[in-house]
Amino acid sequence: MPRDTGLPPGTLMMLVLRVLLRQPLHGYAIAQRIRQLSSDELSVEEGSLYPALQKLLVKGWVKATWCQSDSGRQVREYRLTASGRQQLEAEIGEYRRMTGAIDVLLKEA
Amino acid sequence: MAFISEWIRRLGYLVRRRKIEDELLREMEAHRAEMNDPRAFGNTLRLREEARDAWGWNWLDDLVHDTRFAWRALRHSPAFTLTAIMTLALGIGVNIGVFSLVDSLLLRPLYDRPDEVVGVYNRRTTAEGGFRGVSYPNYVDLREGTAGIFADLAASSMTFVALDLGEGPRRTMAAGVTQNYFQLFDQPLAFGRPFTADESRLGGDIRVVVISFALWEQTGASEFIVGRTLRINGDEFTVIGVASKGFTGTAIPGPDVWLPLGVQAASPTAAASPAPTLASRDAHELTVVGRLRSDASFDAAAPTLATIGRRLEQAFPDINTGYTFEMAAPFRLLFMPGPSNGALNAMLALLMMVMPGIVLLVACLNLADLLLARGHVRRQELAIRSSLGGGRGRLTRQLLTEGLLLSLAGGAVGLFFSRWASDALMASLRPILPVAVNLPDLGLDWRVLAGTVGFSLLASLVFGAWPAWSLTGRAAVIDLKGRLSEEGRRVGNVKIGNALVVGQVALSVLLLACGGLFLMSALSAATADPGFRLDGGLLVEIDPSLAGYDETRSRQSQLALVDRLRAVPGVEAVSIGSGFPFSSFGDSRSVAPAGATDARSNSVDSVFITVGRDYLRVLGVPMIAGRDFVEAELTPGSSEPVAIVDDMLAQQLWPGESALGRLIQFADAEGSEAGRSMRVVGIVATLKHSLSNPRPFPHVYVPLGQHYESVMALRLRVANGTPTSEMMATLRRVIVQHDVRVPVLRVQTWRDHLDEGLDVWVYRAGARVFSTFAAIALLLAVIGVYGVKSYVVSRRTREFGIRIATGAQPRALIWQVLSEGGRITAIGVGIGLVLALAAGQLLQGFLYGVRGFEPVVLVTAPLILIVSSLLASYVPALRATRVDPTVALRSE
Repeated sequence: MPRDTGLPPGTLMMLVLRVLLRQPLHGYAIAQRIRQLSSDELSVEEGSLYPALQKLLVKGWVKATWCQSDSGRQVREYRLTASGRQQLEAEIGEYRRMTGAIDVLLKEA
Repeated sequence: MAFISEWIRRLGYLVRRRKIEDELLREMEAHRAEMNDPRAFGNTLRLREEARDAWGWNWLDDLVHDTRFAWRALRHSPAFTLTAIMTLALGIGVNIGVFSLVDSLLLRPLYDRPDEVVGVYNRRTTAEGGFRGVSYPNYVDLREGTAGIFADLAASSMTFVALDLGEGPRRTMAAGVTQNYFQLFDQPLAFGRPFTADESRLGGDIRVVVISFALWEQTGASEFIVGRTLRINGDEFTVIGVASKGFTGTAIPGPDVWLPLGVQAASPTAAASPAPTLASRDAHELTVVGRLRSDASFDAAAPTLATIGRRLEQAFPDINTGYTFEMAAPFRLLFMPGPSNGALNAMLALLMMVMPGIVLLVACLNLADLLLARGHVRRQELAIRSSLGGGRGRLTRQLLTEGLLLSLAGGAVGLFFSRWASDALMASLRPILPVAVNLPDLGLDWRVLAGTVGFSLLASLVFGAWPAWSLTGRAAVIDLKGRLSEEGRRVGNVKIGNALVVGQVALSVLLLACGGLFLMSALSAATADPGFRLDGGLLVEIDPSLAGYDETRSRQSQLALVDRLRAVPGVEAVSIGSGFPFSSFGDSRSVAPAGATDARSNSVDSVFITVGRDYLRVLGVPMIAGRDFVEAELTPGSSEPVAIVDDMLAQQLWPGESALGRLIQFADAEGSEAGRSMRVVGIVATLKHSLSNPRPFPHVYVPLGQHYESVMALRLRVANGTPTSEMMATLRRVIVQHDVRVPVLRVQTWRDHLDEGLDVWVYRAGARVFSTFAAIALLLAVIGVYGVKSYVVSRRTREFGIRIATGAQPRALIWQVLSEGGRITAIGVGIGLVLALAAGQLLQGFLYGVRGFEPVVLVTAPLILIVSSLLASYVPALRATRVDPTVALRSE
C-alpha cells in the first residue's frame, strides 16, 4: 500500500523521470536534485524514492548500473531508457492538458 | 510488446530475487550514509516492503507461505488429514471412474475428425419408418454416384466367426470390410497393411485377416505376427495387419478380426438357410460409412443421396421401392439398426453420473463438516492471529489454502481409486456381452485430468470457503477471552454441523433404499419360476456352420451329436433346439390361421423355436394335447409341414375351440416359408420368455426339418446326483471326439444360463452399482456422525467434567450423547425416506417383482443407518464418561 508522499499519486515517478532526462544520476543525487529544483517546496521523505525507482525498473523506463560516486562510494546510477523518455513526454503532455483545463476552469468559473 | 518485456523482467525478479533485494538494501544504506540526518530517510524496512510490492509477486509469497503453514498444520493432525483426504478421494474417485467409463463408451469420439465421418442409411419412406442395411450392389451404385461427396465410401458387415488360436474354436465378432474401409480413418493400423481391392472383391475368397490390438496382445504381441496364420471357421487365414490400440471402427464394441468382404466367413448370413450371397441386390446386410470430401458439405450432400435413392427405386422397383438414403452420424453402439442418437447418449451419460454425483455431494458435506469441527478446535489460534492483525480475508485465505491442499491430495488419491472403480464397472459389464469383444481403452485423457482438478477445486471452494468465512467471524475474536460469549454460542456452528450430518444421512438413506430395491429385484429375478424344472439341466451350444459345413452337413452333425450324447452314461434325455427361454436374442413369427383373408391383422406375435424331438419333454413342459414331432420330421422335405403351438397361441387363434389338426401360416414369412401352411399336431403348456416381462408369451415350435439354424443348443437332463462340473467336462470331451472341427460355444447349467442372461444381469448390475455407492455413502455418513459427535463431546468437556464430579452415572452421560445423536439421525432418516419414496416411484419401471414402495426396503435402509450412526456416536459418548473432572474444569 503506497504511503502518502505528500505528492499527488504518480507525481514522484514523473519527477524522477524528469530529473533523469538531463543526465544519469544515483539515488541520493536524484533526491538532492528534486529538493534543489523545487526550492525545498516539495519535501519528500527521501526513502520513498526507492519504491518509485523499483516501479520504474519494472516498467523498463530506467536502467540501473553500479558505479563509483564522486565521494568514492559504490552507488547505483539510473539512466532513462527510450521508453522512459516516451513515457515522460506522454505524462508531461497529460499533466499540461489537465492543469490547463483546471486553469481555464478556475479562471472562467 | 512492452507488456511482454515487463513480464520477462518480473519473472527475472523471481529468479534473482535475493540479489535484487540485496542491491536495494546496499543502495539505501549508501544513501543514508550520505545524509546529514539519516532519520529523514524513513523506515527502511517498510520502504523495502513497498519496493518489493512494485514487482507484484506478493500473492505468490502469500500462497507459498499459506501452503507451508497449511502443510505444517495438516501434518500436526494426521487423523483429521487422513479422514478428509480419504473422504474426498472416495467422492472424487468414484466420479472420475464412472466419468471415464461414460466418456469412453458414450462421449469420446472413436476416431479422428469425427465431423467428416458419416453413416449412410437405407430408410423406409413409409409411415412406420425404420431402417434396413444396404445390399452390396446398392452400395456400389451409391459409391459411384457420390464420388463428388465422399472421399471414401466403405461398407462393412458384422458377423460371428469361430476363431481358433490353437486351444479350440471360440466364437468372436468379425467385420467384413471393403478394401477402402481403413482409409476412412487416420492411422487405423498399428502395423501391417490394409486389404487390397483383389482381396475385397466378392467371391475372391483370399484368406487374409487384420486382427484387433487386443487380440494381438492375447496372441503374445509378437512383432512377427504379420504372415502368421490363425484358424477362422476351420480355414487358415494369414494375418496381414494389426489394428491400432483401441481402434474399433465407427462403433463399440469393435470386432476382434477384420476380414475382406470377399471371403465366405465375412458373409453375415453364412449361417442361414439358404445362405444368400452378398452379391444379391436383395441381401441388405451391409453398413455403409463414408468420409466427406473436405470441399463437400453435409447439407449439400443430402439431395444427391435422395436422387440416387429415387434412381434405384426406378431401376429395381421390387427391391428398392419405399426406400431412400440419408446421412447421419454413424451409430456408436453396435446392434442398433438406425443412426446414433447423440441426445440419447448424453441422456444415458447424465443418468450414469447421478449416483456418483450424490456420493460426491455426501463427501463434500462431510468435508465441510470436518473443516468446521476442526476450525472450532482451532478457534483460539484463529482469535490470536486475528487480534495480531490478521485480516479476516487473510485468515479465510489461509483456511481455504488448507482446504485446497486437502482437495488436491484427495483428487490425487481419487485418481487411483477411479482406476479401480472403472475397471470394476467394466468387469461387471463384460459378462452380458455374448462374445469376447474389443472395447475402447479407458484412457486417462486430459478430460479426466481436468475433471479431477475441477472436482477438487470445486469441492474445496464450495465446501471450504463457507466454513472458513464463518469461523473467522466476530465470534472468533470474542473467543480470545478463553470462552465463548453468549453470541458465540448462538452462532456456534454445532447447528450447522448438525444440518450437514442430516444431509449426509438423508442422502445415504436414499442410496441405500435404491440399492435395496435393485437387490430385491435381482433376488426375485434369480429365483423367479421359469415355468420348467432347472435341476439337472445342462445346455450345450454348438455351431457346425463355423466348421465350414453347409446346411445338410450341419444338420447331420447336429442330429448325430444328439444321438451320441444320449449314449453318455448319466444323461437321461437330450434334445436340440434353436434358442432357449430367457436368452438375450430370439426369433419370432406372426402366426395366423392358414387361408385367413387378412393374415397380417389377425396374426399373433409368437416366439419361434426350431426343435428336435423331446424338446419339451426335456424342459419338463407338459403336452396338453396331440403328439411330439417324429423322426421323419427332422429331415427336410420328407413329410407334411407341421407345428406345435402352446396353449396361449391356440386360445388366441381359435378362442374356445381346439386348435389340434388346424392349419397355420406365418404372416411375415419370407423365402421358402412363404405360403407354407403347417398342421398343428400338438399343444403344450405356455412358457414365459422374458423375466423382465413376467407375463407368458405365445410360442410356436417347428421341427428341425422345416427350418435350418446353424447355431443350435442341445439341452440335456442328467440323472439326479450326477456332479455337473464333471458332466460338463465329459460332454466337452465327447463332442470334441465326435467332431473336432465343430466349435462348442458353451456348456453350462440351465441355472447359470438364466443367471447370466441379460434380464437377471441388469438387476444384478443395478444392485451391485447401487449397493456399492450406498456403502460408500454410508461409510461417509458414519464418518460425519462420528466427527460431529466427537467434536461436540470435546467442546463440552467442562460440562461433562462437572456432571461426573457431581456424581452423574456414566450410563446417563452415554444416553444423553446417544439421544442427541439420535435426533439428528432421525431427522436425516425422515428426509431420506421421503427422497427414497420419490426415487422408488421413478425407478418403478426398472424394477422386477418389487414395488417402488417396498416396506422391507423402507424399513431396512433406515435401520442400517440408525444402527451405524448409533455405533458412530457410541465411541465419543464413551469418551464423555472418561473425562477427568480436574482436567475438565481447567480446560476452558
